[in-house]
Amino acid sequence: MVIEFFANTWLLWILVSVGTGLFWLGRDSQYFNYVFNRYSLALLTLLLVSGVVFVLMEVLPGDCAEKYIAYKNTQGETITQADIDAERARMGLDQPMVVRWASWVTDLTLRGDMGFSCSKRQSVNLALGDRFWMSFLFCMAALIFAYLIAVPFGILSAFTINKTWTDKNPQHTPTERLINSIGMSTQKVLDLVLRLVSYLGLALPNFLLALTIILLYVFAGEPMPTGLYSDEYRNVPWFGDNGFSWGKLDDFIGHIWLPIFVIGWSATALQLQTVRALVVDESNKLYVDAARARGVDGIALWAGYPVRHSISPLVNSIGFDYNRVFNDLPIVAVVIGLTDAAALLIEALSMTNDQELAAAILFLVALVIISMNFFTDVILAAIDPRVRKSVLGN
Amino acid sequence: MMINQGVSSRLLDIRDLTIDFNTDEGLVRAVDNVNLSVRPGEVMGLVGESGSGKSVTAKSIMRLTPGNAVIQHPSQITLHHRDQDINILKLRGRDLRTVRGDQVSMIFQEPMASFAPAIRISDQMIQTMQIHLGYDRDQARRAGIELFERVGIVNPEQRFDQYVFELSGGMRQRAMIAMALSTKPKLLIADEPTTALDVTIQAQVLDLMLELREQMGMAMIFITHDLGVVSKIADNVTVMKKGQVVEAGSAEQVLFQPEHSYTKRLLDALPHLEDLPEAPKKTPPPLLSVKDLSITYPLAGNGRKTEYFNAVKNISLDLPEGQIIGLVGESGSGKTTLGKAMLGAAPISTGHVQYHNTKKKVKFGADKAIKRKRLAKTAQMVFQDPYSSLNPRMTVRDIIAEPLEAMNITKNREETDARVIEVAKRCHIDVEHLRRFPHAFSGGQRQRISIARALVCNPKFIVADESVAALDVSIQAEILKLLKELREELGLTILFISHDLSVIANLCDWVCVMKHGELVEQGTVRQIFLEPQEAYTQKLIASIPLLDSPEGRPSNTPELVHIAERPVCSEARVGV
Amino acid sequence: MNALLARFGFGRQSKSQNDESYYTAGQLALIKARFKRKTSGVVAAWILGTLVMMGFFAPFFSPVDPTINGADPDYRRGAPQAFYFWDENGFSLRPFTYTYTKEKARIDLKALAGGGLNALDALTSSGALKASNQNKYVIDKEQRRYIQLFVKGWEYSLIDLSVGGLDLDIRWDRHLLGVEQGQLHIMGTDEDGKDVFSRTLHAIWITISIAIVALIVKLFSSLLVGGVSGYFGGRIDAVLMSITDAVRVVPAIPIYLACAVALSEMDLTPVQRYFAIAVIIGALDFPTLGRRLRTHILTERNQDYVLAAQLCGSSSWRIIWRHLVPSFGSYIIVDTLINFPYVILAETSLSFLGLGLTDPINSLGVLLQKAQDPDIQQNMLWQFFPVAVFVFLIMAFVFVGDALRDAADPYSEKK
Repeated sequence: MVIEFFANTWLLWILVSVGTGLFWLGRDSQYFNYVFNRYSLALLTLLLVSGVVFVLMEVLPGDCAEKYIAYKNTQGETITQADIDAERARMGLDQPMVVRWASWVTDLTLRGDMGFSCSKRQSVNLALGDRFWMSFLFCMAALIFAYLIAVPFGILSAFTINKTWTDKNPQHTPTERLINSIGMSTQKVLDLVLRLVSYLGLALPNFLLALTIILLYVFAGEPMPTGLYSDEYRNVPWFGDNGFSWGKLDDFIGHIWLPIFVIGWSATALQLQTVRALVVDESNKLYVDAARARGVDGIALWAGYPVRHSISPLVNSIGFDYNRVFNDLPIVAVVIGLTDAAALLIEALSMTNDQELAAAILFLVALVIISMNFFTDVILAAIDPRVRKSVLGN
Repeated sequence: MMINQGVSSRLLDIRDLTIDFNTDEGLVRAVDNVNLSVRPGEVMGLVGESGSGKSVTAKSIMRLTPGNAVIQHPSQITLHHRDQDINILKLRGRDLRTVRGDQVSMIFQEPMASFAPAIRISDQMIQTMQIHLGYDRDQARRAGIELFERVGIVNPEQRFDQYVFELSGGMRQRAMIAMALSTKPKLLIADEPTTALDVTIQAQVLDLMLELREQMGMAMIFITHDLGVVSKIADNVTVMKKGQVVEAGSAEQVLFQPEHSYTKRLLDALPHLEDLPEAPKKTPPPLLSVKDLSITYPLAGNGRKTEYFNAVKNISLDLPEGQIIGLVGESGSGKTTLGKAMLGAAPISTGHVQYHNTKKKVKFGADKAIKRKRLAKTAQMVFQDPYSSLNPRMTVRDIIAEPLEAMNITKNREETDARVIEVAKRCHIDVEHLRRFPHAFSGGQRQRISIARALVCNPKFIVADESVAALDVSIQAEILKLLKELREELGLTILFISHDLSVIANLCDWVCVMKHGELVEQGTVRQIFLEPQEAYTQKLIASIPLLDSPEGRPSNTPELVHIAERPVCSEARVGV
Repeated sequence: MNALLARFGFGRQSKSQNDESYYTAGQLALIKARFKRKTSGVVAAWILGTLVMMGFFAPFFSPVDPTINGADPDYRRGAPQAFYFWDENGFSLRPFTYTYTKEKARIDLKALAGGGLNALDALTSSGALKASNQNKYVIDKEQRRYIQLFVKGWEYSLIDLSVGGLDLDIRWDRHLLGVEQGQLHIMGTDEDGKDVFSRTLHAIWITISIAIVALIVKLFSSLLVGGVSGYFGGRIDAVLMSITDAVRVVPAIPIYLACAVALSEMDLTPVQRYFAIAVIIGALDFPTLGRRLRTHILTERNQDYVLAAQLCGSSSWRIIWRHLVPSFGSYIIVDTLINFPYVILAETSLSFLGLGLTDPINSLGVLLQKAQDPDIQQNMLWQFFPVAVFVFLIMAFVFVGDALRDAADPYSEKK
C-alpha cells in the first residue's frame, strides 16, 4: 500500500525534496538561494510551457476518440455519433481543456506519466522511449560537432579583425613588411572564407544540404546513407550469437554522420559568428592591453585573456542552440528517413493527429532546454566570478 | 650597475616621434615630432587634454600603439639599459618584453578595466613575475603579498586572492601599482592614475606613489591633465597640445613662469584659494527651501527581504537666490539624488521642496504631487553626459525648442524660432548650426545646447549635475564662464553639483558638503575652503591637489633649471 | 573594412565637401552613408534589388506563362534550351536556340495490341519506358529560333492596384524575351511542361510577399508584447516575459506545423491559406524581437534625454511620440530587414514539408519540395534551378542585413 503510494508519486517527492533541500541550503548561502530561485523559475516556466503546448494541441483538428472510432470503422463496425461521444466521455475528452491540462500536469508531476498515445495504442512514455533518447543524442552530437568546429575557427577568425592588408609602417624592415603584408592578406582571405561559410549555413538550410549530399551520392552511384542502418543490418541484433555485432556498429557509424553533420551545419555557422563576435569584443578590452603591457604574449595572451573570458557567454547559449538544432531535426528526419522522436513528432502532428504524443515530445524538448539553461546558469554562477557578481550581488 | 647612474645618462630618449593614424579620413597625425627624455629616477609630468597625443606617446614606449598607428621616420625611442642603448622601435618578438613589464611598466587610468575580471589578481601578478623574474609560484606569491603590504593594502594575504571587482576603488589602484612594481621596472608609466578616483583617495594614491618612488628609485612618466597633481609629483613637466610639445622644462619653470598661453590657461583652471570671492554683505533671501528631505530606494537584492538604501537622509537646506551654489561630495554621497529631487525627478520619501517668489505656488513633497509644468517653468537641469542627454534624432533647434513646444509657451512657430535664436546666441551657439543634429558637435558644444534648452523657458533655477566633468579643462573653463555670465545677466540661481573641488572653488559663491546622504557643512566658498569646520570637510580640502606655492618647493633659483641632475633619492623631497 | 576602403580611396570624398550635409543628416541618412561604404553590402544590395525586381515584374521577365495554361504539352520534362551566338552553320549577332522535337518512342503498338507477351517484355527491357529516356529530344540544328525582345505573349497585369473602389490595373502583353515559334524554356520544363524559369521568377515574389506580410504581423505582435512590457514594466512585464520565455523554448517549426495542420483541415482558398500561413509565421515569431524591443525601450527610457524631456514638461504621450518612437524607428526597419531570410526560411520549410503552400501556387518552398523527388534528382537536374536562386536570394539578404547591422550600430555614432 505504502509502496504503491510512493511508486505513484515518486517524481513529486523528488521535485519537492530537491526544492526543500535547496531552500534549506539557501537560508544562509546566497549561492543556494540563487539556485533555489532559479529552480522555482525553471519549474514555473515548465508549467507555462505545458500550457502553451496544450493550447497548441487544442488547435489540431480531430481527437483520439474520432481516430479510434474511425479505426474501428475500418474493422467493419458501423459507428454512430453516440459511440463517438461515449468514447470521448470514456477518454475524458469531453472535459474542458483546463481540466484535462490540470490532470495531465498532475499525472506528470506525480509519476512522470505523460498520458496515452492513441495512435500507438500504448502509453506515451513507452511509445517514445528510446526514440527520444535517440533524438537527444543526435542533437547533442550535432552540438558537439558544431562547437568543435565553430570554437577554433571562430577564434581564428577573430584574430583577423582590425588588420590592414598591407603593412606600411616605415619602422619595419622591407622583408618584415612583406612578410606581415602576406600574413595579413591571408588572414583577411581566411576571414572572408569563414564569413562566407557561416552565411552559407543560413542560405543553405539543413534540408537543402541533406538533399545536396544525397544528390552527390546519386551521382557517385553509391547507395544513399539514409536511415540509420542498411537493409542487411536492420534486423541484426546488437548482441547476436557471435557476440557483439561489429558489422552493425560499422554500418551504424556509416549512417549516423549524415544527420549529425546536417543538423550541426547551421548551428556551426551561427556559432562561428557568435564566437567571433565574443572574442573580438573581449580582445578590445583594456585588460588585454594591460596584459600585453606586462609582457604576456602569444598563446598565453590569447588563451588566457580574451578566449578565457568569452567561454561563459558561449556556455550560456547552449540551451538555445539545442532549441535551434531540434527545430531543424523534423525536416531533416523526413529528408533522410530517420525514425527518431522528431520523425514521430511530424507523424503525430501531420498524419495521425496524436495530440498527446506530440504534446509530450514538445514538452520534453522544452524540458531539456530549460534544464540545460538551469544547469548552465547554476554552474556559471559557481565558477565564473563575473556571473556570480551579477546574479548574487556583492 | 643601476645604483649609481651617471649624472648625464638618460634612461629614455624620444627623438622626433611622429605617429599617424590610419582612419577613414586618411592619415591623421596624432603625435607630431615630439622630443622627450627621462633620466633615471626622474618624474616627468606629461600634461595635456584629451586628443593631445600624450597617451599615444606613452604607449609607443611600450610598443602598445593600436594596429592602425604608423610610426613615421625618423622617429626614435631609445632605452638605456645595462650600458646599452636599445632601440625600442626595432625590438621584435620576445625582446619586446624588455619594454613590456621588464624595464618599463604601466599603470592605467581604469584599474577596474585593466585587470582581467575572471582571473584572480594573484594569478595575474604571479604570471607577470614568472615571465620576467623567473620566480616559481611560491616565491612569486610571497613577493606579491609583500608588495601588497607595501602599497598599503589591509589584509594583503586575503586581498591577494580576490577578484578585482571585490576591491574598492582605491584598493584597486593600489593593487594596480603593486602589479606594475612587481617586476622592479626602471621606468613606470602612469596614465592618469588618479583621475577616476575620489579626491581623498587621489591624495592617498599620490602620496603612495611619491613614497614608493623614493624607496625604489625608479623613473616615472606621469600623464595627467591636472597641473595640481603634476606640481605634487613631477620634477620636469612637458605640456602637449594637439600632438605637439608646447612647453617643457622643470616643474618650477613651467608651473610658475609659464610661457605658452595654453599652459597659462591650464593653470587658470586650478583653484585659486588666495583670491576667492568675498561673501556678499548679507545672505540673499532663499529661492528654494528643502525641508526634512529623505529619499530611500529599495535595493534590488536577491535576499528574501528587501533592503533599503537611504540616498538622502533628512536634509533641510535653503538655497540663496541669485547665487551659484556648489554641492560637493564624493561618489555615492547622494548629491545627484538631492539635485534631482529638487526638480521632482527622484521619489521623495519624506519632507518637501518649496520654491519661493514664483507666480504660482510650487511646492511638492512626500504627500504633495508635483505640478510638472509649473515646476518646469521654474527649474531646469543641465546633465552630466553631453551625449545621452540630447536626443540624437532631433535637430538642435528642436532640442532647444522642446520646452516651449511641450508646454505651449509660445503662440506660434515664428515666436518659438525667435526665442530659440535668442537663447542660442546667449549661449554662444552659432545660429547656422541650429539645423544640425547633435552628432555634429563636440562635448563642450553639446553642453551649450543643453544649457540653452534649460534656459529657453526662462527658469529661475538650474541644477547643473557634474556638467563639466566629462569635458577637458580648457572647455570646462568656457562653460564655467558661460554659467557665471548667465548668473550675472539673468539673475539665475544655479545649483552646481560636482566632485571636483577646484571647479567649485572657481565658480561658486556658496558651498554645501555632503557625505553618505547627509549634509556635513555649508557656508560661503571662503568659509568652506579657508576655514572648514568639520573634520570631513578639512580632509576634503586638504586633499585638493593645489599648486604648491613656490616657497613650499626648494627656492626658485637658477640651480633648479638643472633639477633633473640632482641625485635620485633626495631626502629633501619626502612628504612634499 | 572601412580602413581598407580608405586605403584604396574607394568612394572617398573630401570631408569638407560634404561637411554640412553630414552634420544635418538624420539617423537614417547616416545609416545609409555608412552602408554605402561597405562594398560587399552594396554589391549584395544590387543583386537583391535585381532579384526582387525580377520577382515583382515576373510576368514581364518570364517568357512563358508559369501556370498550367502556359504548359507546353510537347515539351514535358524538357531540358534547358541554351542560346548560342554561333555554331557550325555560322555566326549571328542575335542569339538563337534550336528547335527541339520529342523523339517518338519506338513502341511497336501493333505487337502490343496483338497481346504478345514477348513484345511487352521487349518493350520493358528496351528501356523506352524508363524515366531517363522520356526526356530525350531531337535537336534540329538547322532550324534556328532567334531570340526576340519585347515579344507579344499572354496578357498579364503589370501593376494591379484594384483595391476597394480603386480600379487601377495596368495590363500588358509584352515580355522581355521570347521566340517566334513555340516557347522558350531557358531552364527547361517540369513533368507537366511548365517552364521552370518562369515559375521560379513568379515564386520569388510570392515568397517575398509572404515574408512581408509575416514581418508586418511579427512587428505588430512584437511591438504589442515588447511595448506593453517595456512601457508598463513591473508585474505586467514579469508575466508577459515569462510567457514569452515559455514560447521561446518550444521549437518554432513544430509550432508552425501544428498550426499549418489545423489550417489544412479548414476549407480555404489558396489565397486565404497563403495569408493565413504568413500571419501564423509572423504572429508566433514575437519572442525574440519582442524581448529586444522591451530591452530597447527600457534602456531608451532611462536615457538622460528622456528625463530631460520630462523635466521640460513634456507629457508622456509627447515623450512616446517625439522621443521613444523615433528612437526605435530606424532600429525596427533594420531589424526587419535582417529578419527577412529567417521568415523566408520558415515559409520554405513549411512548404517543403507539404504543409505550407501547395503546388498550383509557385512559391520557392513549393519548388524546393520537388527537389526531394528521386526522379528529379536523377533525371531532371535543371529543376534544381530554384534551389540556386533561393540560395542566392538568402545570401544576398544576409549580406545586406549584415552590412546594415554594422551601419546601424549605435556605437559608431558617438565617434
